[in-house]
Amino acid sequence: MNYIENIYICLAAPLFLAVLCVRRDARRSLSFILSGMTACLLSAYVSTFLAGVHGVDAVTASYEISPAVEETLKLLPLLFYLLVFEPEKRFAIGGVLMISVGFATFENVCFLTAYGTSELFRLVIRGFGTGAMHVVCGMVVAEGLFLLWDRMGLRIVGTFALLCFVITFHAIFNIFVNQTGAVFWVGSTIPLMVVLIYVLFLQKRFDMS
Amino acid sequence: MLDTYGNILQTAVLLACSIFSVYKAVKFRSRSWTVLSFFYGCWMLGDVYWLACLIFYKSTPQISTISDLSWYAAQIFLYLLLRYTWPPEELKGIHPVSWLAPVFTAGMAVFFMFWGEIISNLVYAALMGLLLFASIRRIADKKAAGPKRFLPVTILVYVLLEYGLWVASCLWDDSLLFQPYYVFDLMITASFPVFLHAVRKAVTV
Repeated sequence: MNYIENIYICLAAPLFLAVLCVRRDARRSLSFILSGMTACLLSAYVSTFLAGVHGVDAVTASYEISPAVEETLKLLPLLFYLLVFEPEKRFAIGGVLMISVGFATFENVCFLTAYGTSELFRLVIRGFGTGAMHVVCGMVVAEGLFLLWDRMGLRIVGTFALLCFVITFHAIFNIFVNQTGAVFWVGSTIPLMVVLIYVLFLQKRFDMS
Repeated sequence: MLDTYGNILQTAVLLACSIFSVYKAVKFRSRSWTVLSFFYGCWMLGDVYWLACLIFYKSTPQISTISDLSWYAAQIFLYLLLRYTWPPEELKGIHPVSWLAPVFTAGMAVFFMFWGEIISNLVYAALMGLLLFASIRRIADKKAAGPKRFLPVTILVYVLLEYGLWVASCLWDDSLLFQPYYVFDLMITASFPVFLHAVRKAVTV
């Protein structure tokens, strides 16, 4: 039995105290990390509930239910930030990254407690792969939102379409990392490659636009 | 098995088209090319997900929402593309023929409900109706220039091919050697590169 709410309290408590103590940028970053972890906790509950409702096992739920739930709940803190604070693009992108980092960190900790810490190399690949996947999904949503958000009608359909895009990407990643051997390695490295391509070739162009 | 090969071919074509449109989007920092990249990306991810389920789990998804979500998103991006390349403000009125689009898609949705799910059919009918309506409206616009019409015409053909594919899949008969389904599937695959040309024309007009 894995009590993820206990893990959440242990991880979130120092972050919460830090949020109260620090100011401005540091507070914003820590709040995003905390909201990412909270989104991960809530998505675990919702996914488990939906898996029970549909009567599917854990593996099937990981690629048919969890991606939709996780990406939707991960988007909510960002949408709240965008709608309430109307931030500049760089702050929103930073926020998305922090939410993704919080989400991936909590997910990895839960994975470690469930499956153990014996296989270092596999865990390194999983850690980087999961982290990169969440970062890629967050970046796609953030860049896409700034591209599409100019009218209310388009904001709604554009946001939904972006969400669908990242849900499918996430689901494919989950299918690949559920496998063994070469498929696992390929699946884990695809998001890493996307992050590398973004950092090396696309980031400057997006920043300029 | 032939269906799987068709999916693999479609995925390969979509990958090539995605790479090309991403290159154009980055080079020109163009919103239209970026939205086209998302259209290709969504279609491709939907195909890859479907294929991955077939290959690794030997079955189609039990809850087929994920692939459908991806294909819904593809149609939404196509609609956004049409709006960005030819905004509704530049159009003069609505031609009466445009109203045939929602009538057609609603009728087809009722037909498909005998085979598929109700909600999924309604969403597809709404999205396809919107796409058909928007493209017919632009084609019928009297002020429209020749090259600019190419994108709505391509979208119109694409939507009709989609409907042809869906009808063929409903009336599927395994005893036939040459399935109309495969023909429509191949024609849809062939239509994807045409969007590259259509967007190039639309953004240079």
